[in-house]
Amino acid sequence: MNLLWLIMIAVSLMYAFFTGNISVINDVCLKVGKDTFDFVLPLICMTCFWNGVLYVAKEAGMIKVLEKWFHPFLKWLFPDIKEDEETLGYVATNITVNMFGLGSAATPVGLKAMQGMQKHNPKKDTATRSMVTFLVLNTAGVTLLPTTLIALRSEFHSLDITGFMPLAIFSTVFASFVGVMVDRWCNHRD
Amino acid sequence: MIDTSFLLPGLVLFVFTFALLRRVSAYHAFTDGAKDGMKLFVDVYPALLAMMFAITLLRESGLMLMFTDWMKTISGSVPSEIWPMVVFRPISGNASLAVLIDIFKTCGVDSLAGQMASVIQGSTDTTFYVITLYFSSVGIRKIKNALSIGLIADVAGISMAVLLTLLFYA
Repeated sequence: MNLLWLIMIAVSLMYAFFTGNISVINDVCLKVGKDTFDFVLPLICMTCFWNGVLYVAKEAGMIKVLEKWFHPFLKWLFPDIKEDEETLGYVATNITVNMFGLGSAATPVGLKAMQGMQKHNPKKDTATRSMVTFLVLNTAGVTLLPTTLIALRSEFHSLDITGFMPLAIFSTVFASFVGVMVDRWCNHRD
Repeated sequence: MIDTSFLLPGLVLFVFTFALLRRVSAYHAFTDGAKDGMKLFVDVYPALLAMMFAITLLRESGLMLMFTDWMKTISGSVPSEIWPMVVFRPISGNASLAVLIDIFKTCGVDSLAGQMASVIQGSTDTTFYVITLYFSSVGIRKIKNALSIGLIADVAGISMAVLLTLLFYA
C-alpha cells in the first residue's frame, strides 16, 4: 500500500513536470486538505446518525435476533469452531454490523473472532479453513445499508439517492455467494 | 425504476418500533452511537486525505485521462471513468472512495458512471486491507488461498455491478 501510494504520487508529479502542468499541481497542494475536509465532515455526521440507529437496534436486541437467525448457517460454514459459542457470536456480530455498512464498527469484533479461531488453530502461523471462510465473507462485504454511499450521494444532490441500493445489494450477495462456493469447492477437504 | 425512497425511513421506523416495544433507553443508545461515530473522523480524515492527494494528482497531471482514454478502446459501453474504480476497489477503501468522489465531481452523481461507481463501491469490500489486517492481528503468515478467493469474489461482485447498472440505467 505504502509503495503503491508513493509511486502514484511520484509518477503523477514527474508527469506533470514533464508536461509543464505544474501550476495545476500547485493548486492541488494548496487545496486538497480543505477539499477532503469538506467531503469527510458531512460523511461523518451522516455516519453518526446511522451509528445512532445501529446502537438503538443493538439496545433493543435486534442484533441478537439477527445473530440467532444466522446461527445454523454459521455452524455449517465454520464446522471446526461450532462448539465455541463465544467465537461464533463474534463472527455473527461482525457479519451483522457489516450489513449495516459500518465497517469500522465491525472490525474490532472481527479481530476478536480471529483471536477466537486462533485458539483452535493447531498450526499457529497457518490460516485455518474457518479463517479463510470468514475473511472471504468479510472481503465480499455483504452490505445491506451502505451508509457512506448514501451520505455521499445526498451530498452531491443526487435526484435518486437510494436507487443504486437494490443493485448493490444483489451484487454484494452474489459476490459473497461466489466467494463461499469457491471456498467450499477448494477447501472442502480441510 | 423501483421506488426505493421508502427503504431508509422504513428501516428507521422498524428499528424504533422495536425499541419502543422493548422499552429500552433508545435515546441514550442513539447519542452513544453518534458519539462513537464522531471518533471515526480522526481515523477517516487522515487516510482519505492521503488518498485524495494521490488520486487528485493522478487526475490533474493528466495521467488518469491517458489511462481512461486507453481503456476506452476496449471497454465498449462501460464508461471509461469506471476503470480506476475497478482497479482500486480491492486495494483500498479510501482510494476507491476518492475515485468515487472524483467521478461524482467530473461526471455527475446521477450519470451512468456515477450510478455504476456507486453500485461497485457497495458491491464488495477491500480485500487486501481486510486480509492484511485480520491475519496480521493474530500473527498468521501462511494465508492459503484466502487472497485469491477474496479477489474472485471481488471480480464476481464488480462484474455483476457493471452488468446490472448497464441493464437498469444504460
